[in-house]
Amino acid sequence: MDMSFREKSAWGSLIAMGLFAYWFFPAAFDIADNSNDASELFFLSVGCIVGLIIIEVVYQSLVAATGSAESDERDALINLRSERNSGWVLAIGLFWLVGHIVAMSAVEALEPMGGLLIAVWILFTLTVSEFAKLASQVWYYRVDAG
Amino acid sequence: MSKTHVKNNIRAFRFQCDEMTQQQLADQVGVTRQTIVAIEKEKYSPSLEAAFKIAAAFGEPLDAVFRYEP
Repeated sequence: MDMSFREKSAWGSLIAMGLFAYWFFPAAFDIADNSNDASELFFLSVGCIVGLIIIEVVYQSLVAATGSAESDERDALINLRSERNSGWVLAIGLFWLVGHIVAMSAVEALEPMGGLLIAVWILFTLTVSEFAKLASQVWYYRVDAG
Repeated sequence: MSKTHVKNNIRAFRFQCDEMTQQQLADQVGVTRQTIVAIEKEKYSPSLEAAFKIAAAFGEPLDAVFRYEP
């Protein structure tokens, strides 16, 4: 495939973010739901985030080394559109979470959410919105190129 | 991004300019080659500045290279 630096960069970040989510969230939700051990969640988060950063740095350096890291007006437009999509996902996720918290305090039949579980859901929402941004970028680049 | 209403004759003008490559045009305009591909396929409408630069690269007025078809 004929890809610009920005598109290769978006693909790499998308895959790295997907791997991060695949490894992190099942374990994080398990900790928040069952053991509720904050230190375990902290070390899991640090480990996964450091892993994500290492993968990103290595990949982006390789991509930058094999071609010019230039960007232009089309990259800026695609980035803006992707940011808008990401914003919608983030807003929907946070409204859902806030609504859930409010509902739990209003309806006694609902099981209350622990602080750790709320933190993991916030991280999950942020990750999904970032994933939506990267997926949008890849989509816009591919649609233009097709 | 679907097809735009801004049509162009970039391919024809590149042919007239000794088969100027998309990369050569991109270098003159200051955009990536992928952006020239997207403009040429009419999937991306360039900014006014980029459109003027493309026309200038061919030594033609803007309306000889680009036209609007609603």
